[in-house]
Amino acid sequence: MKRKVILLTVFYLLLIGIWQGVAALGIWPPYLFPSPSGVFDSLLAGFQDNSFTIGILASMKRVLIGYFISVAGGLLIGLAIGRVKVLDETVGTIVLGFQALPSICWLPIALLWFGLSESAIILVVVLGSLFAVTIGVDAGVKNVPPIYLRAARTMGAHGIDLYMKVIIPAALPSIISGLKQGWSFAWRALMAGELLYVSIGLGHLLTMGRELNDISQIIAVMIIIIVIGITVDRLVFTKLENRVRERWGLLNA
Amino acid sequence: MKTVNPPKKLDSLKPEKVIDLRQAICPHPLNVIRDTLRALRENDVLLAVSDHEPTALENAPRFCERRGYPFRTVEQEGVWNIFIQKVEDRDARLKVENVSKTFNSGDGKVSVLNDIDLTIRDGEFVTVVGSSGCGKSTLLNLIAGLDKPTSGRIFANGKRVEGPGSDRVVVFQEGALFPWLTVRENVEFGLKLRRVAPKIRKEMAQDYLKLVGLTENFHGSYVHQLSGGMKQRVALARALVMEPAILLMDEPFAALDIQTRESLQDELQRIWVESRKTIIFVTHNVEEAVILGDRVLVFAKNPGRIKSEHEIDIERPRQPGHPEVFLYTKWITDEIRENGEAVDEVQEAAV
Ligand SMILES: Nc1ncnc2c1ncn2[C@@H]1O[C@H](COP(=O)(O)OP(=O)(O)O)[C@@H](O)[C@H]1O
Ligand SMILES: [Mg+2]
Repeated sequence: MKRKVILLTVFYLLLIGIWQGVAALGIWPPYLFPSPSGVFDSLLAGFQDNSFTIGILASMKRVLIGYFISVAGGLLIGLAIGRVKVLDETVGTIVLGFQALPSICWLPIALLWFGLSESAIILVVVLGSLFAVTIGVDAGVKNVPPIYLRAARTMGAHGIDLYMKVIIPAALPSIISGLKQGWSFAWRALMAGELLYVSIGLGHLLTMGRELNDISQIIAVMIIIIVIGITVDRLVFTKLENRVRERWGLLNA
Repeated sequence: MKTVNPPKKLDSLKPEKVIDLRQAICPHPLNVIRDTLRALRENDVLLAVSDHEPTALENAPRFCERRGYPFRTVEQEGVWNIFIQKVEDRDARLKVENVSKTFNSGDGKVSVLNDIDLTIRDGEFVTVVGSSGCGKSTLLNLIAGLDKPTSGRIFANGKRVEGPGSDRVVVFQEGALFPWLTVRENVEFGLKLRRVAPKIRKEMAQDYLKLVGLTENFHGSYVHQLSGGMKQRVALARALVMEPAILLMDEPFAALDIQTRESLQDELQRIWVESRKTIIFVTHNVEEAVILGDRVLVFAKNPGRIKSEHEIDIERPRQPGHPEVFLYTKWITDEIRENGEAVDEVQEAAV
C-alpha cells in the first residue's frame, strides 16, 4: 500500500515535471500546448468565479436523475427477463440490441421528442445506462442457484418474498456490477450529450473552452470529469462490490 | 392408541393366516410378518409361530406396538405363538399412492418413478437407500411439493400435497444455506416469513443452533466461514426451527468426511429420540440407512421403485461397526447385489 502511494506520487510528479519542461521549451504555442501551471490557474479561476461549481452541480443533477431512472427500470426489466422465459426470448433480444447502440445515437430522437431541453439529455443518460443495468440484473437473476429457491420454498417462501429475500440478495454481486457499469455509461452519455448542445454543465464548459481558444480550461474540465468518474466508481461502487463479494464469500473462492 | 375394533377377536385365537417362522432359517421375521399382514384384510388375525421368545423374535411385540396392532403372545411348551390383528394405519403422517413421475428429456420421456406406494406413520424414522439416479431425490421433491407427480397422489398431515409448505421442510445435501445471511439469520429466515417477532425468533434460532451443537461464537459468522459439517448443522437447525411435521433429508451428510458424518448421525439420532419427529432420510450409504432408520426402503432403478423394505430393530444410539449394524448392512447390501443392481456404488458406499 505504502509502496504504491510512493510510486504513484513519484510517477505523477515526474509526469507533470516533464510536461512543464516540454511546455517551457516553447516548441508549440501555449494555445495548443498548455503548461500544467496554466491548467492549474484555470482550475483555480474556474472554481473562484463558481463557473466550475455550477457546471459540476448541473451535470451531477442530470446524471443522478437519469441514473436513478435507469436503475429502477433496469431492476424491473432485468428481473422480468431473468425470470420469465418468454420475455427473455423477446424483450431480452431488444435489450442486447440496444446495448450495442452507442448512447449518443439516441440524441436525435430525444431532440425531436423533447426539443432542446433537460428531458432530452436525461433521456440520453437513461438510455445510455439502462441496458447495462438490465443486463447485470438479468445475469444475476439467471445465475441464482436453483437450490436457494427450493430451500426458500420449502420454508414457506413464495411470491414477492422469493424476490425480495432470495433472488435479489442472491443476485446482488452481479446486480452491483451492472450498476457500476451503468454508472460509467451514464456519465459518458451525459458528457457526449452536453458537448453537443446543452447550456451549463461540464460538457458545455468544454465547448466554451474551445470557442474561447482556452485550452487550459479544456484540460482543467477534462480533469474534473475524470476525477468525478473515478471517485464515484472507487468510493461507491468498488467499495460496495468488495463488501458484497466478501460477505457472499466470493473473495477467497 | 385407539382401536375401533377392540382386540376381542384375539380372544378366540382363531387366526385367518398362520406363518411358521421355525421353518428353515428365517433371517428377518419382522419383514415376513409385515408383508404377510399387508396382504391381509382389515381386522384379520395373523398367527406367527416361533421357537424363540418373542422379544428375540426380532422384537415382534415392539413392532406391533409401534404400529398400533393389537397382539397377544401365548407360550406352549417352548413354542411361542404371537397373534397379531391387522388394523388400519390411523396415524399416517404421509401417504404416497401410486405415484409415478416421468420427465421429458431430449429424446422422449423418461420414467423416473414408477407406481410408488408408501405409508409413513407419525414419528417414524424412514431411510431410503439406493444407487444414484434411481429417483430418491425426485421422490423427496414430490413429497416436499417442489415438483408434481405425473400420476398418483400424495397426502401429508392429512392434506393433499399441492405445493411446498413449511410442514415439510427439506435439508439438502449442500450449498443451500444463504451466503448473504449470518448463521443466525439463516435459521431465522423461515420464522421471519411467518412473521414471528424478532425477539422470539432470535431465541428460537439460538435454541435450535444449540440443539444441533453449534457453539454460540459461530452464530454471527457467515456461511463461507464454516466447515462442511457446521454448514449441515446449520441447515438442520434451519429446518428444525420451522418445527415441521415431516423432516425430509436428501443425502445431507454425503459430502462430509467420515468423522463428521458419524458425529452428525449421532446428533440426528439423539434429536429424533428426543423429538420423535417423522423423518424421511435419503442416502446412498447402506450403513447410514441402517444406523438411522427404523425402516429402510431399498430403491431400485429404471424405473425407480421401492424394491424391498427392512425393519431395523437395533437399540439406539446405533454406531457404525456395531455387530448388529454390520449384519443388517451386509444383509441389505447382499440383497442389492443379488439383484445385480448398481452393485458397485452401493457396495462401495456400504464399506
Ligand atoms: N428435472 C429433470 N428432468 C429430467 N430428468 C431428471 C430431472 N430430475 C431428475 N431427472 C432424472 O431422474 C433420475 C433420478 O434422479 P434423482 O431423483 O436425482 O436420483 P437420485 O436422487 O436417486 O440420485 C436421473 O436419471 C435424473 O437424470
Ligand atoms: Mg439425489
